[in-house]
Amino acid sequence: MDIFFDKAEARFGERVVLEPVSLRLTQRRIGIVGLNGSGKTTFSRMINGLVQPAAGRVLTNGCDTAKDGARVRAMVGYIFQNPANQIVLPLIRDDIALGLQSRRLGKAERDTAVMAALDRVGAAHLADRRAHELSGGEVQLAALASVLVTAPGIVIMDEPTNQLDLRNRNLVARTIGALAEDVIVISHDLPLLADFERVLLFHEGRLVHDGAADETLARYRALAT
Amino acid sequence: MNFSQPAGSGPLHRLPPAAKLAVLFALSVLVFALSSAFALGVIAALVLGTTLLFCRPALRQWLASWPLLLTIALVAGWTAFAKDPETGLVLLLRLSALSLFATTVTTTTTIGQFIETITALARPLERIGIGNAADIGLAIGLVIRFVPEVQTRYRAVIEAHRARGLKIRPATLLVPMIIGTLQGADDIANAIDARCIRPEHAKPN
Repeated sequence: MDIFFDKAEARFGERVVLEPVSLRLTQRRIGIVGLNGSGKTTFSRMINGLVQPAAGRVLTNGCDTAKDGARVRAMVGYIFQNPANQIVLPLIRDDIALGLQSRRLGKAERDTAVMAALDRVGAAHLADRRAHELSGGEVQLAALASVLVTAPGIVIMDEPTNQLDLRNRNLVARTIGALAEDVIVISHDLPLLADFERVLLFHEGRLVHDGAADETLARYRALAT
Repeated sequence: MNFSQPAGSGPLHRLPPAAKLAVLFALSVLVFALSSAFALGVIAALVLGTTLLFCRPALRQWLASWPLLLTIALVAGWTAFAKDPETGLVLLLRLSALSLFATTVTTTTTIGQFIETITALARPLERIGIGNAADIGLAIGLVIRFVPEVQTRYRAVIEAHRARGLKIRPATLLVPMIIGTLQGADDIANAIDARCIRPEHAKPN
């Protein structure tokens, strides 16, 4: 991945929610930590153009998120904090296929792509299940499959292990670890980020630390006490 | 109508959704064209028989949708009182047969199949420059998808009132429901953007 923040700032109305950030992200595994309301989610949403910079610019793989939002979103898959909110259709198979709608594939081709995406996250058994019947971990996997089916090069996950029991947390962590895509994970689950190449720490709308996982996580722990 | 999308593999589940929608359309025209209580009684019996034979969950679902049945009963009752009993009976048979068949169609068709069928049906409109077929299909699918969501939200708000010992008033019921539904719609809109479900119409930047 190549994500470039050039003095990018985010505001909600008059309120600055993210002070100007300048950095380049090229690693395959990047973590983001910070207290609630620190600007982590806003920063991640700027990467795929769901939030536009009020000043400065963000380039994702060379595309300006303000000018070429659709192309950027095709390159960057995003899994929301509550993945159940992004499952649009009740039946998992239908929902994943919905992401392929614009490609106008034949039914057989679409079914194959849906099953391949579910297989990749070890969730082929969820194809004919309904979203409201799934456990938290299964919803995460279904949401991940719905993103992977469109073949993005980058996947952003906002608190993927939030509210999961230990078994589901480990399942999701293993799945993230096995992904071939570049991954950006926002999390309060610090062991999940321990092996990441780079971790960013946000605090009160500012990027306050950017470095290796161990030192950034130590800074975060100190900040939180 | 049932929007909870139960899985199934009966003959009605296997029928192409377009055929089911076509029959529903033809039945709608027929029951409103007929005014004989006997003929409508035969149609209602056929619909009931088909549902009993091939899709009993649809009948259970139809019987559970009491607000709909109550409305039909009230309208038919009022018509019988204001006009004559036969006109009331005609209305009762007409609306009952139609709503039961519609429930059977929605029970045996997934929202994904609906979207696919409606998108295909709307393609000619797209070709002559009226609308976008995928958008029309998606919009109808989303309307159907939101029905159980609103029902769930309604139950949650009622439970919250009970848990806090509050009296249920229209304002305290409607406001959280409207806010919650709008938030849900916002989440879905974000998801549609993030997942590039309609990339050619991505959010203006």
